[in-house]
This record gives sequence, structure tokens and C-alpha cells, in this order.
Amino acid sequence: MTDRSPSATRPSRLARVRRRVSGALALGAALGIVGVGYTAVAAAASPGTGARAAAPAQESVDVRKGRQLFEQGCVTCHGQNLQGVRDRGPSLIGVGQAAVYFQVSTGRMPVTRQEAQVERKPPKYDLTETQQLAAYVQSVGGGPEIPKGDLRDGALAEGGELFRLNCASCHNFAGRGGALSAGKYAPSLNESTDEVIYGAMLSGPQNMPVFSDNQITPEQKRAIVNYVQTLKKSADPGGSGLGRLGPVPEGIVIWVVGIGALMAALLWIGAKS
Amino acid sequence: MSEFPPRAAGPDHLGGPAEPDLERLSVGERARLGAERDGVHIVHSRERHPVPGTKAERRAERGVALCFLLTFVATVAFTVIFIAAPWEFSLTDNSYAWFTPLLGVTMAIALAGVGVGAVLWAKWLMPEEEAVQERHEGASPRLERVTAAALLVDGLDQTGLARRSLLKRSLGLGLGALGVLAIVPLGGLVKKPRDELFTTPWKAGVRLVSFDGHPIRPGDLDPGALATVFPGVPGGARAPDAATMLIRLRPGQTVTRRAGQEDFGWNDYVAYSKICTHAGCPVSLYEQQTGRILCPCHQSQFQVQQDAVPVFGPAARPLPALAITVAEDGYFVAKGDYAEPIGPSFWERP
Repeated sequence: MTDRSPSATRPSRLARVRRRVSGALALGAALGIVGVGYTAVAAAASPGTGARAAAPAQESVDVRKGRQLFEQGCVTCHGQNLQGVRDRGPSLIGVGQAAVYFQVSTGRMPVTRQEAQVERKPPKYDLTETQQLAAYVQSVGGGPEIPKGDLRDGALAEGGELFRLNCASCHNFAGRGGALSAGKYAPSLNESTDEVIYGAMLSGPQNMPVFSDNQITPEQKRAIVNYVQTLKKSADPGGSGLGRLGPVPEGIVIWVVGIGALMAALLWIGAKS
Repeated sequence: MSEFPPRAAGPDHLGGPAEPDLERLSVGERARLGAERDGVHIVHSRERHPVPGTKAERRAERGVALCFLLTFVATVAFTVIFIAAPWEFSLTDNSYAWFTPLLGVTMAIALAGVGVGAVLWAKWLMPEEEAVQERHEGASPRLERVTAAALLVDGLDQTGLARRSLLKRSLGLGLGALGVLAIVPLGGLVKKPRDELFTTPWKAGVRLVSFDGHPIRPGDLDPGALATVFPGVPGGARAPDAATMLIRLRPGQTVTRRAGQEDFGWNDYVAYSKICTHAGCPVSLYEQQTGRILCPCHQSQFQVQQDAVPVFGPAARPLPALAITVAEDGYFVAKGDYAEPIGPSFWERP
């Protein structure tokens, strides 16, 4: 398309001028829309400073605040330049916003102690601080980012197929998690938000494999998120799902509660007659 | 049988009349007579409500009627729920989940109403009665035993089986063949495995593709990633023996290959069969930091850095490795089939 012969497609002078003018207008309009949109978004995110700050300045404010937070809470283990500290914490170069958002928003970071598995706990940083931290780490090392917008915009059936092929082996067919080796485990997805699931796929936290956008496309990732969240919302038409852990709790309930009730009834009948 | 006298009219221990005057007995007396003849003695019997129409009797009657009414109401409710309640799966409205439990509860109430009503009827309204039945004697009388045995022997004698050896032998032959007939169809299940246990659809030059058929390039996986890949041939994704784990190792992880398989990987990519060597379950619980692959069925663990040898659990052999390389067009291809049979052991396995 680009190497058409010049004689056939050379436009007239007037047309070229018109094209340049319209191009400049379009660029200006686009810039204006982006600027206004960003200001609105930033204002919603942090009302104190966002209203008057221009877009680039706001970005640097986020990064600056993120750096302050990082230097207070993270340097001990991850190092002054995110390079990591031996036997304490890994390098954060290249982990990106996805990893920071996943680890900090689920309370896994900062860790309290080193053990087999870093567990989910109440987050130490609020959403704004988490995003500032993520912005700082992203600005230093780069890496994968969780996209904005609707993360459930994907085909449900395809999401189910991908979930069963790639996720269900560790996270259980209903997303309830399961055991791994030596005290490690795949956590339940019960409390996971869209962003957390997406960020986990992108960053591969702890022992979870990484699923890059080339391996599982963003559309497929949104389909998986949609499937997981739909699964969590959907009802158990057979009565209680018993934690959806499968045949083991179902068997326990049948044998202990069901047979137990029958035995009690038998004993009662025997005692009456 | 007719040459023997008919059996006595009642058990010997009953001293009652052999042929009572039935016409003069009431229904209740006839019922009790029958019970006596079966050795059932009514020890004690008492009307619960000797005076009919008392307040207590009416209350008991109403209680039993309430149970039957409950059955009626629950059955109506069951029908209404069955017809009108939402039952179809819905993504937005979870009320369909009540359909089955409500049907179960209403049906249980309906059945319990009849049962409880019947029991209460007997306990509250019918006469209170206690009866004992005598055990019958241990064996049948000698006369019956002898005649029954004689009947069998006599029948056998009449066939003349002892005399007619031709019939005996031909019948034995025919029945024996009939027995074989039941076994013959089982032969259809007996199959000697040929190549199918030793080979998979993987061949030299076959592309590694995802389950939806996309070929894989080295840039597609990040370090620490696992992808389940299939041979890029028709039916490859459905082949039961072809599922393979393509793993991109993390920086610093290396695989110590067994002799003769040193070049099976490609840079930081390795490929192993996804089928456990113990019982054939899919082993895809991959821990990317420790490099362990877990089998969910019996907790076998394989260590990728040691060429996927089993380090825990019942599996005895390492996961077979698939030799991979990158073709000129930039996509992963297999360098050949697995070097050994995949999956669990079988008799003919060398």
C-alpha cells in the first residue's frame, strides 16, 4: 500500500494543503480530548491536586509520591534502585504495574515474613497509594501493565475453555484453589477482582506461570476474567455447593450428616417401641 | 399326591374346633380365629376411645386429618412450583437455583404427610393391641420331606438320563458350547496393542500449536511460562497421547539432560509430555519458581531442572521429553516423536 508509484497517486497541491490542515485540526482535537479526558480522570482519582494539574505534571506527581512510598516501605528488601536485595527481595526491574498492583492491592506485599507462600491479607496501602507505587515501579523498570476499562469484555464460553485448559489444574474447576508442593498452594479466586486476576496472568506471581499477551491475548484474558467472575456469581441449583470443592466434602456430608440422620431416626424408632 | 389324606385343618397345638360355625361369627371374631390358626395370640387389646365422640377423640382425628391436608397442600405447591417457578439457567438472575430444592422440600412434605398421618392414625385412634406369634417348628414333618425328595428323584428317573448316554453326552456338549457362546463376544475386547502405545502424532517438522491451532513462536512465552501444545496435524489437539507442556525456563534455570537427549531443548525452552508416567493424569500444575510439575491425581512431582525426573509420589519414570527446535519460518517444530512411550507403564513396554 505504501509504495504506490508516484505518478499515479501524486495529489494536487490544493488537496495536499487541505490534507495538512485537516490533519493538524484532527491532531489538535485529539490532543484536546485526551487532555480534557485525562484531567477528568485524574481529578476523579485524586481531587486534591488533579483539578489544576496538567496531564504530564500529574503523572510525575504520581511517580514522585510512589517513590516516597517506595523509599519508606520497600527499599529494605527491593533495594534503592529496585535491583533487589540478596536473600530479602527480588529485583523489580521489568515487573511492571501489573505485578505491583497484584501484590500490593491483595496485601501480599509488604510481606510480614519469608515462608512457603506469601498470603493474601488486608492491604497496607490504599488504592491511590497502590497506583502511585505501581506508577513509580513502572517508570523505573517498565513491564506489563493491566489495561484500563472493562476487563470482562470477553466471550464466556471461550473463557471457560481457556480456564479449564490453563487455570483449573491448580485453581480448581470452580476457582477455589488447591495445594501445591511443600506448603505452597494456588489461592482461591473468591476475593479476586478483575484487575487482580488480569494482573496475576500478566505477571505470574510466586509460582504461577506467566501468561504473556502473546500466549493468551488480551481478548482471551478478558474472556477468562469474565468466566471466573460469572462462575463466582452463579448459583448452585442443587442446593448448597459445599464450597464447590468437589466430591470429598459432598461425600463427607452424605456419610456424616445423611447417614447420621438415618441412624438417629432408627435409634429413635427403636427407643419408642 | 391324591393317595395321601388331606392335611389336618389346623396346627396340632390348637385345641379349637376343626370346622367352626363360620356363619355365626362376626367379622372381628373371624379375623381373630384366623390369627389363632396362624399361631398369633392377642395378649391385650383395648379401645383408645371407649366412648365415641369425646373431645380427645375428635382432637386426635383432626390431627390425623391435618397431616393428610398437609400432603394435599404440599402437592399443590409442588405442582405450582413445577409449572410456574423459574428453572432456566440465567447469567443475571440466580432465582432458578431455588427450583430443585423447593421441589424436593414440597415432595418430602407431601410424602411425610401421608406417612406421619398413617402412623398417628394407628397410634391415636385404632385399638391399642399387643399380640405374640409362636415360632413354627424347625423342620417340615417327615412325611412332607420324604415325599418332596421322592418327587425330585422320580422325575429324574422318568427322564432315563442314567440309561440314555447319547442324550446325556449330546446335552453336555450343547450346554458346554452355550457356555462358550457367552465368552466369545468378550473376544472383541481383547486387542494386542501395536504401535499406538509406542508412537504419538508428533513427527519431525510437525509444528507445536495451541489448542485452537495457533503455531507458537519463541517470543510468545515469557520466562516462567507454561503452554499446553499439541501437534499441528489434523486431530492433533484431540489426540489422547500428544498433549505436551512447552515451558520457558526462568533466567538461571537450566536442565541437566540425560545422555543422548542433550539437544532436546531450544535455548530456554523445554517440552515434556503432559501425561503422567504413573496413571496417565494431566500433569500441569507447574511451579515456575521451583521448576516442579505436580500431578493432581496422586501427588507425583517432577523436577524440570533434573530432566523431569520424579522426586515425590508414586510415579517411577521421568516425563518423556519432546525434542524441539525452531523452523526457518520462526515457529516451533518437533524434531521427532518422543524417544520413549508416553504415559503409564504397560506389559509390552521395554
